[in-house]
Amino acid sequence: MIDFVPSYFLLTILFLSIVFCHLSKKNAGAIVCYAVQSVVIVCMLFKSFLSSHEVSLLIIALLMFIVKVGVGPVFLMKLIKKHALTFSVSTYLSTPLLLMIIAVLTGIAHSQLLAPITSLIPGNEALLSLSLASMLLSLFLIINRKGALSQLIGILFLENSIVAFATFGGLEQSLMLQIGIIFDVLVWIIIATVFVSMIYKHFGTLNVTSMKNLKD
Amino acid sequence: MTAIFTIQSAFLSLLGIFLAGAAGSLILRKNDSWANGWSSFCAVTGSLVGAIFGIATMISGNNLSFGMASPLFPLLSISFYVDTLSAFFIAVISIIALFCSLYGFGYVKHFYKKYSIGALGFFYHLFIAGMILVVSASNGLFFLIVWEIMSVASYFLVVYDRNDENNVKAGFLYLIMTHIGTAFITFAFFLLYKFTGSFDFEAIKAGSGALPVAIKNAVFVLAMIGFGTKAGIVPFHIWLPSAHPAAPSHVSGLMSGVMIKTGVYMMIRLFMDMLQPIPTWWGLTVLVIGAVSSLLGVLYALSEHDIKKLLAYHSIENIGIILLGLGSALTFSSIGMPVIATIALAASLFHTLNHATFKSLLFLSAGSVINKTHTRNMEEYGGLIKFMPLTALFFLVGSMAISALPPFNGFFSEWLTFQSLFQGIASADVIVKWFFVLGAGSLAFTGGLALACFVKVFGITFLARPRSDEVFHAKESSFSLIAGMGALAVLSLIFGVFSGYLITFLEKAATGMGFLKNATTITSAASGHGALSVGNGFASVSAPALFVFLLVALVVSVIVFRFVINRHQKVKVGMTWDCGTNLRPRMEITATGFARSIILIFKGVLKPSIQQEITYDDAKSRYLPKSHVIIMGIHDVYYSYLYQPIIKVVTVLSSWATKIQNGNINVYVLYVLIALILALISAL
Amino acid sequence: MTILIWILQLLFVPALSPLCVGIIRKIKAKFQNRVGAGIFQPYRDLWKLLHKDEVVSKDASWISICAPFIVFAVTLIVGASVPLLASFLNNPYTGDLLIVIYTLAIGTFFLALTGMDPGGAFGGFGSSREMTLSALAEGGFIFSLLTMAIISGSTNLFSISQFGGVAQYQHLLPVLLAFGGFFIVLLGETKRFPFDNPSTHLELTMVHEAMLLELSGKRLALMEWAASNKLLIFIALGANLFFPFGIAGSATLGAMGISLMAFIVKMLIFCLAIAVIESSIAKFRFFRLPDLLITSFILNVVAISLIRL
Repeated sequence: MIDFVPSYFLLTILFLSIVFCHLSKKNAGAIVCYAVQSVVIVCMLFKSFLSSHEVSLLIIALLMFIVKVGVGPVFLMKLIKKHALTFSVSTYLSTPLLLMIIAVLTGIAHSQLLAPITSLIPGNEALLSLSLASMLLSLFLIINRKGALSQLIGILFLENSIVAFATFGGLEQSLMLQIGIIFDVLVWIIIATVFVSMIYKHFGTLNVTSMKNLKD
Repeated sequence: MTAIFTIQSAFLSLLGIFLAGAAGSLILRKNDSWANGWSSFCAVTGSLVGAIFGIATMISGNNLSFGMASPLFPLLSISFYVDTLSAFFIAVISIIALFCSLYGFGYVKHFYKKYSIGALGFFYHLFIAGMILVVSASNGLFFLIVWEIMSVASYFLVVYDRNDENNVKAGFLYLIMTHIGTAFITFAFFLLYKFTGSFDFEAIKAGSGALPVAIKNAVFVLAMIGFGTKAGIVPFHIWLPSAHPAAPSHVSGLMSGVMIKTGVYMMIRLFMDMLQPIPTWWGLTVLVIGAVSSLLGVLYALSEHDIKKLLAYHSIENIGIILLGLGSALTFSSIGMPVIATIALAASLFHTLNHATFKSLLFLSAGSVINKTHTRNMEEYGGLIKFMPLTALFFLVGSMAISALPPFNGFFSEWLTFQSLFQGIASADVIVKWFFVLGAGSLAFTGGLALACFVKVFGITFLARPRSDEVFHAKESSFSLIAGMGALAVLSLIFGVFSGYLITFLEKAATGMGFLKNATTITSAASGHGALSVGNGFASVSAPALFVFLLVALVVSVIVFRFVINRHQKVKVGMTWDCGTNLRPRMEITATGFARSIILIFKGVLKPSIQQEITYDDAKSRYLPKSHVIIMGIHDVYYSYLYQPIIKVVTVLSSWATKIQNGNINVYVLYVLIALILALISAL
Repeated sequence: MTILIWILQLLFVPALSPLCVGIIRKIKAKFQNRVGAGIFQPYRDLWKLLHKDEVVSKDASWISICAPFIVFAVTLIVGASVPLLASFLNNPYTGDLLIVIYTLAIGTFFLALTGMDPGGAFGGFGSSREMTLSALAEGGFIFSLLTMAIISGSTNLFSISQFGGVAQYQHLLPVLLAFGGFFIVLLGETKRFPFDNPSTHLELTMVHEAMLLELSGKRLALMEWAASNKLLIFIALGANLFFPFGIAGSATLGAMGISLMAFIVKMLIFCLAIAVIESSIAKFRFFRLPDLLITSFILNVVAISLIRL
């Protein structure tokens, strides 16, 4: 159903964009990565549509295009300009260590330990393991970065990875799933905008580690 | 004809009335008097329906069993099972709720404009509905849900008067203790589920034979702790003396009269019905718990001078007496004497009914007194019999009933309990016999000490001269309060005098469960004189005859001495002998002083303390004291030996646990990632 | 004939109890080398009180007005429920041992309330001490009668007296021990030495008398009479449950005559014993009394353990 090579190609782009985000210092770059990822996802959905000819999939793909590629990054760009967050704040781990952990996480995703998940659809093992690796990397992005904006973006990456996983896991036919994801992303972006403004106003900074008021 | 009252729709309409009452109160909350009126009307109607339903079911002997499986959760099925035991408890709950609601109609008026009456009505109806559901539920999960509803509704009622900070603290303690109890109960049900495969009571009963012995014993211990916390056995009773005084008086009456009995109901249901056959040590343990609770309850009551706290401790004492009866029943059933077990269980149920009646009567009267004098401290009462004569009369009736004085109902249920204990002493083997001797001894002393305590309460509160100015402003309560109390007082007398006829009902309730179904009974309303008799001539007492004899003797004495001998005697009114000084209230005995002798006698148990603080006019010569403050206290042993160490351990563990909570979001997400990877690895 | 015996039983206790008190006082007087008042003096005292006017305290309520009648009526009922002259009488209505104990408790309850009612300085103390002693004596009281009930197989007092008490030799030791416990309770409940001095004039040492300080006239007469009734009831219980020799087993005139003689003799022996105790030992300090009452309880528990059925 899904051609292997183009799918693998698209998925590799997704994966690499996440890795790129880990390494980049600029927020604008992260947003561009997000836009790229969203395009990739839309392409995947479009491919499914082409193979199955369900109109709903087309509608979903278009919707996703509008929200994730159009509205979302625009919002986030505005946010960056408003608060002058050009540069991403520091991370916990240094770059070599970071690359090692990325490698470890990818290895775990591809390993035999997680074989039952990745063998969900026997032909798509590589695709599924790569999606899983993307998910783990997105989580790690949230852990590693100290800026609130980076963490928001990390969650958006996680969304995308889950969509990719679902697509290759044979679940993309589920309409509810797609609508749920779209709605989720939309709400996320709105909340993110509002909250970031509120956090900035209240704490005076978006650096999460200095928001110690939560600690007992 | 009675059948029409026992069908399913009667039961559902009963619940419906209470739910309508709850909803209506909430809707009408803007207008205090409308909310109060609707709430009381629904409560009274619902209670009447409930009483009729319960009594009709007991008369007809039909078991009502229906339910609906819930499609969402296969383990939870909303099933009810009303046999004669459940019907008995429903009848008790309804009768007490009827009179407490009648009382509440007038009592709640002093909360107008202060708090939301609609909320009170809402939680009150939820509470009563919860209690009725608890005694009729037949599925473990459903039972836990309605148990929670009952507990949470009563929590909100306890903290209703929230301007007083003590009430809020009391409610918090109550909430914690009841949830600890619920945790134990939940654990017990889960154990049963694991080994019998179902939460339904019927299925557990059928599969109880296959339970391994260790699990059965574990279930017993867990259930004893869990239901015992609700019932108020020592040492899990610490919430009772704080929570019952904090609630509004008609709710205190309900809580003390019927809510704690739901714990007893589940003990009966589990131990006598579902888990039969049981080992003997279960019954002996319950007997010991009952003996200890009754003695300690009455001793702590003697040391109290907050009138409602004192009544709460007496509830603990009476639960001990009920458990004495239950323990005997369990023991007899396990050593193969089902006939005497029936008597013992009937005694226990009779005391449940009687205690509900006179304890709610006492709480309602105490509530009237507190309402008019605005204090709970007994040391500030005195002479109220002249200002509130009817309340005093009803309180006297309640005091006589709780002290087990004939011809009121308390005596006859204690008589039955004694008789079952005596049977145990007379017939059982050596070890069991000594437990029964312990039980009978504790019951004997409890009766005497309770009498002493109520002489103190009634005498200090109502007799002699007023000890504070507040008393002079007290007036008799309004009609609905008098009606509620009066009806309960009359019921105390009726249940006592007609106990011979009541016993047939109680035996029906006791034998309703499968285990005792075939036991022929040996109590009987014998020879038409309404006598209670046990054991083919071992003992018998006739309540109506006693009542008639007492009345006749009284009338004869009055006639002879008042009207026959020296009818021209003059009676003058004079002053009490005052030894030549001015009569002051300080000359009368105080509540503390009255009970101090007994407290000192039992000082090993109560650990009284006395602290003195003297300030002198001249600190150097220390000759003339300026002020002398004496503080007499009772050491709370449960808190320092049981709860304090547990609290310390929990606090230490919690402070270790806070170390993983360092406030950094990144660390939390790291926890999530690690957990995710571990979960994936381990699950696959 | 049975009706006659019942009427005799009802009137027996109130009629004979002041005589009992008079005999005890006479014996004590003899011990003290006095002539003492006649043994019928208590009757004259009651007559005098009944014909005097009364003063009722302003602070007292209807409790003080009604309680003497209630207390007296209670002793009448109990008097009819204990075996006095005949053990064949069948009283399944009120003849149970628990009924007797708790009906007497009604009397104690109202007596204690009468002590507190006028709000005097001494009445409250009296009530407090009375209730303390009565609470602790209850255990011994119930258990001593229980021992006899277990031996006899019934808690009906008439059946116990039919059984034979000490005459059943195999139960000799338990019966004697139970009687020891019972005798202590007798002294305790009727407020005799070493619990209370019935002829004291010091209010601070009073237990029973303190509660009656504010009563006068008829009501005082009733209370005093009720107290002596209680003494006779306890003597009757002790005599006819533990040593039922000579009690009438059938409704013949001869049996009743012998029973009356036997009862008078036993009553005299009890009065002598009480008088001897009152003349030879001192009243105990109040806080030594609980030990005595607990001893009574323990004696009875030991008695129960020694029963071999």
